[in-house]
Amino acid sequence: MFSIRRWCLLALSVASLLCADAKSSTGDSVLVVVDPKNQDQYSTFFEGLKDGGYDLTFRSPKAEGPVVIEDDAPNFAHVILLAPEARNLGKDITPQSIVQLLSRKTNVIVALPTKQSPLHSLAAEFSLILPPPNTPLISYFPKRDTPSTLIPIKIEDHSSPALTKHIEPVWFSGIPASLGSNPLLVPILRAPSESFASETTVTSGSADAVADSVERGGEGLWAGSSLSLVTGFQATNGARITFVGGAEIFSDELAQKETERHRQSGNAAFSREVAAWTFQENLVLRIDKVEHHPVNATEPNEQYTNNDQVVFSTYISKWNPTKGKWEPYSGLKDLQLEFTMLDPFIRTSLPPVRGAPGKYSTSFRAPDRHGVFKFVVDYKRKGWTSLESSTTVPVVPPRHDGYPRFLSAAWPYYTGAISTSVAFFLFSTIWLAGEVNERKRSKGSKAE
Amino acid sequence: MFFRSFGLLLLAAAAQASILTLKSPRFVVSDSIGTQLRAEPISLEHRTASPVKLGGRDTLKLTFQVVEKEDGKGVQPHQTFLRFYDEVTGEEGIQPIRVASNGKAKFDLNPSKPPLSLPPTPKTASGEVNPLQLTLLIGSPEHEPLSIRLFDLVLPPSQPAPVHPDEIKFHLQEELFHTFRPDQKVPNKFISLVFSGIALAPWVVLLGLWSQVAPAPTNLLSPFILPFILSLGAFETLLFTYWVKLKLFDVLLYGAGLGLVTIFTGRQALASISAQRKD
Repeated sequence: MFSIRRWCLLALSVASLLCADAKSSTGDSVLVVVDPKNQDQYSTFFEGLKDGGYDLTFRSPKAEGPVVIEDDAPNFAHVILLAPEARNLGKDITPQSIVQLLSRKTNVIVALPTKQSPLHSLAAEFSLILPPPNTPLISYFPKRDTPSTLIPIKIEDHSSPALTKHIEPVWFSGIPASLGSNPLLVPILRAPSESFASETTVTSGSADAVADSVERGGEGLWAGSSLSLVTGFQATNGARITFVGGAEIFSDELAQKETERHRQSGNAAFSREVAAWTFQENLVLRIDKVEHHPVNATEPNEQYTNNDQVVFSTYISKWNPTKGKWEPYSGLKDLQLEFTMLDPFIRTSLPPVRGAPGKYSTSFRAPDRHGVFKFVVDYKRKGWTSLESSTTVPVVPPRHDGYPRFLSAAWPYYTGAISTSVAFFLFSTIWLAGEVNERKRSKGSKAE
Repeated sequence: MFFRSFGLLLLAAAAQASILTLKSPRFVVSDSIGTQLRAEPISLEHRTASPVKLGGRDTLKLTFQVVEKEDGKGVQPHQTFLRFYDEVTGEEGIQPIRVASNGKAKFDLNPSKPPLSLPPTPKTASGEVNPLQLTLLIGSPEHEPLSIRLFDLVLPPSQPAPVHPDEIKFHLQEELFHTFRPDQKVPNKFISLVFSGIALAPWVVLLGLWSQVAPAPTNLLSPFILPFILSLGAFETLLFTYWVKLKLFDVLLYGAGLGLVTIFTGRQALASISAQRKD
């Protein structure tokens, strides 16, 4: 009986291992705020997440719960706000609470509405400059039979650090954002260079209105490939938020629509990649430990002396979403170490060590300035988790007995001192052990 | 659902879609007084080969008329954009052109009063300015889109695009090295040797005189004298060791013990000597 139960448990655990083909490094619980009427429209996206091992909880924008933050602690590891047309997303979901979620390391995907909404002011806080309300992205290129607001967009490989694999062209419909210069922004999908944001001619857009918008000054015209349609932002604490210009990009309709003849769009793969980056499956790093010691030693010193040769090593792991565990990672080629006292005195590369996975090491000579120094590893790259480590260590001048003992310049002094000592010793010996007799004594007095 | 109905509407429009073209497109470069430096018609098939250079006070004037290819009727398209693109830096600027309802359009570019949309054209490392690719984009719901690559434009150098102060941390940073103080200068070892020799020179005199006087240490092995001499020797050795490696408190400890012994042996030795000398 007992053994059968154990077998069942084992089989269950194996099955769960096989099912989980991608896992987040920060948790599996996801809250999806979506209108129940539209929930079926996004079933491909939701199924993809469920297959990835996520535990989805749905909530209507009108519902009171489940709340996102309870007793000052987030209830979910990730939140998807997929109800752009709703006037309010719920009592507890405001721009302020979304910022709170991020500061408590919850990842968020926000679908932006075309109409004016509180989410516009949220986006502005993240250096996204949105066009005026009701001006979606329009492109007349290439010639096609879809409306000008539904745009096929080619995605170049490596066009964004957040996209790790090849993705077929995607359909997009929504609003663009022009980006501030904030380096924490990670543009994921850029607008085509022929596209621009405007009211459509079907509503009240006109050529003169477009020309006027520039002459009026201010933000001018939202146009060209510098615009971003899907934009990630990685907060300094590692939490990630992604602003999506339109929720339709996640929809089943666009996922099944062909971009070219017999070529299905890349929307499903793209949505999964956006979720994988935002939910911290991809490009997640951490520092396991750092260590330092003098050359030819293994134990760290409490403090280092000027000119000591110091070895600094760090161990870095990368999250493997398929296995769901951290693995040593030696793939960083541009890691740098700084040795700082207020300003960096030394900045040197920290290369991976061959044969030791995940280990990066370098050695350098401690500067001949004394003070409280820090070993600083500060690795920031777009799309990647930022790595920060700081280890304080004092650097002192040599102690009174730490200087070299036999300087060639002082040889005359050494010989002088030693010869005086030897002479004293010899004199004492002769004086004490010398023979005492009349002849010697008289001779001795003569000598005086 | 929305897309589908809208798509159908558009499909109906596309059925009558006609092709747009430009009538008499040309550009003129003139200097500040108004003298024409260069005036050429623009070909729609192949772009103007030599890049157009614009000085700080010159003006570029672009004129054309957007017409339907079939009947030559002037059209005011929804989108008439001039795209400036720097291939090297990826900087892009889009400038809409105002088109009259009869399709006529003109655009002036004066580098001394640049439009906001113009991308920055900083000097590169070689001191040159990257040319900007000029493309005319015309889009309209009723017509086929039109994209015409006009010519390359070389503008006078401008300030580079502003960069966020933290941006530098997101790239490989320049390596820094500490400049160490130079090693202390030490005189030639030969000189040190010569002066050590001078310090040792009195020994020649001393040994010379000693050979004359030569008092022999006959009582060296006497049990009263030897311990004192040994303890004096131990003191010398202790002080030498102190200088090489011992710490002060070690020396005080050992010295105190040795001192006691030396006092005792010294009394013995001096007493025995005074006894001998009394005889």
